[in-house]
Amino acid sequence: MPHEYEVRNEESVLSENMETVAAPLSGGGGTAKPEDAHGAIDIKAVTHEFPGNVLAVSDANLRVRGGEFVSIVGPSGCGKTTLLNLLAGLIDVQTGSISLAGSPPKAGRHDVAYMLARDCLFPWRTALSNATLGGEFRGVPKKERVQRARDMLRKVGLSGFENNYPKALSHGMRQRVALARTFSLSSSILLMDEPFGALDAQTKLQLEDVLLDLWTEERRTVVFITHDLNEAVTLSDRVIVMSARPGRIIKDIPIPLERPRSARALQKDPLYHEIYAEVWTWLEQGLNGGDDG
Amino acid sequence: MDENNQRWMKGDGLYVLIAQVVALALFLFLWEWASRERIIDPIFIGQPTKIFAYLYNGTLVDPILFREAFWTLAATGAAFFLGIVAGILFGLLFVVWPVSEKFFDPLFSGLNALPRIALAPLFLLWFGLGLGSKIALGFSLTFFIILNNTIAGARSVDTDWIVLSRMLGANKATTFFKVTLISAVPTIFSGLRLGLIYALLGVIASEIIAAQRGLGQLLTYLAGTFDTNGVFAVLFFLAIMSVILMKFMSWIEARLLRWR
Ligand SMILES: Nc1ncnc2c1ncn2[C@@H]1O[C@H](COP(=O)(O)OP(=O)(O)O)[C@@H](O)[C@H]1O
Ligand SMILES: [Mg+2]
Repeated sequence: MPHEYEVRNEESVLSENMETVAAPLSGGGGTAKPEDAHGAIDIKAVTHEFPGNVLAVSDANLRVRGGEFVSIVGPSGCGKTTLLNLLAGLIDVQTGSISLAGSPPKAGRHDVAYMLARDCLFPWRTALSNATLGGEFRGVPKKERVQRARDMLRKVGLSGFENNYPKALSHGMRQRVALARTFSLSSSILLMDEPFGALDAQTKLQLEDVLLDLWTEERRTVVFITHDLNEAVTLSDRVIVMSARPGRIIKDIPIPLERPRSARALQKDPLYHEIYAEVWTWLEQGLNGGDDG
Repeated sequence: MDENNQRWMKGDGLYVLIAQVVALALFLFLWEWASRERIIDPIFIGQPTKIFAYLYNGTLVDPILFREAFWTLAATGAAFFLGIVAGILFGLLFVVWPVSEKFFDPLFSGLNALPRIALAPLFLLWFGLGLGSKIALGFSLTFFIILNNTIAGARSVDTDWIVLSRMLGANKATTFFKVTLISAVPTIFSGLRLGLIYALLGVIASEIIAAQRGLGQLLTYLAGTFDTNGVFAVLFFLAIMSVILMKFMSWIEARLLRWR
């Protein structure tokens, strides 16, 4: 597994631009390279209705390539979480089909990791013990999972806090632990539902950079839900805009910003603001007339 | 603890302590005086110096208080232990398999509503004057407390934790033992403390009603022979004993729940 990541890293360093790396993979269709299947997500004509005629997702079609970072933005209540939970296998697909790396969604499969706005740390476990949780549940040998979790805690900037209980950590630090817990798993697909949604602006920028670093180092497929356009543009290869309910995908916007990126440096990049404005226009359109598309 | 004490001793705390000591001394002095001068009949109120003498004799000279306390504590310990085991097992069974709770509900609701002391005659009939009947009565009180706390604790587990565990690949058993059960521990613990108090209550009550040994039995005997000083001495001894038991529980709780 690590070997594959190394190869991908080299590619991205050479080209410096994820778009050009990913482009040949996208056109392939049936003749996908092995890398394409590795962590690729395919959502076909998915519609989801909750009891009481609540149409949460309407005819969603989306392909995410292996190693691609895709954000989904849209007004609150438009079905983003529903779509992610369908991917996670937490709710069953009603209409249409979803495949992750070639097989249907299933909660607990080892190639999928999941992260929420709430850190969900277990208060009775230390930071390190929380970070090893996934490995523990998945039967990774103790030495290996502890090594991996320590490594991740260092990368998210929590060296020296391994033995702290969550009560002795700030909000931002707790979410860092959650990030370490997520990345300690070597899952090729990450599903993140507004993971930084509950943080203050400053902490959020810091964690976005941490996430960018981790992702650059170990390229994985990420589906990232957010209502923060800045965040979406900063992090993603593509931003998917959903309309107000019934949640429909109305626009798929590529983000041609160079990588590696830094959340703070991007604030001064004119291209960044141009793209931001474009995404904003589409989001506004989704707010007003999502239905006429 | 130390830190608390220090803060407490500083400022107001010291004055409160002095006031308490003075008030207690005054109270004991008045009590002693009223008893000696027969302003109130010592049969009713005893006499502090004689109470102290009984305590002294009963612990250091001929340790009758310790001997009887041993039987009381043994029964309390057994009732407490059995109450914990049964309460937690039934609680977990009900959480894992809710139908079983429905099945037992009429029986348990009825028993729980019953003033448990009323069972004492039946237990005496079944188990005699020895440890058995005391343990049964203590158990009948402790069990329901632990049961209810276990159910409440396990049911209030954060659903996001369960979802996360599922996504991290935990199976049902792992989720139950490593998430649901552990998250219920604080609630179970608050039940343990109350459960211990009630185990002691049940045992003492059973001893007062009828028993061969124990502090409750001693109380009945002393009251029956109008040894008021003895009665006060045993009550005082019981109070100290319970406080020590509670402190012990707090100590275990603090050690076990350091993460809180
Ligand atoms: N379990 C459910 N039962 C009924 N309605 C639901 C349920 N979950 C979500 N919904 C509804 O579906 C819509 C989409 O919800 P959600 O996917 O959480 O939106 P978002 O994450 O974009 O804010 C909302 O209108 C919400 O009220
Ligand atoms: Mg949501």
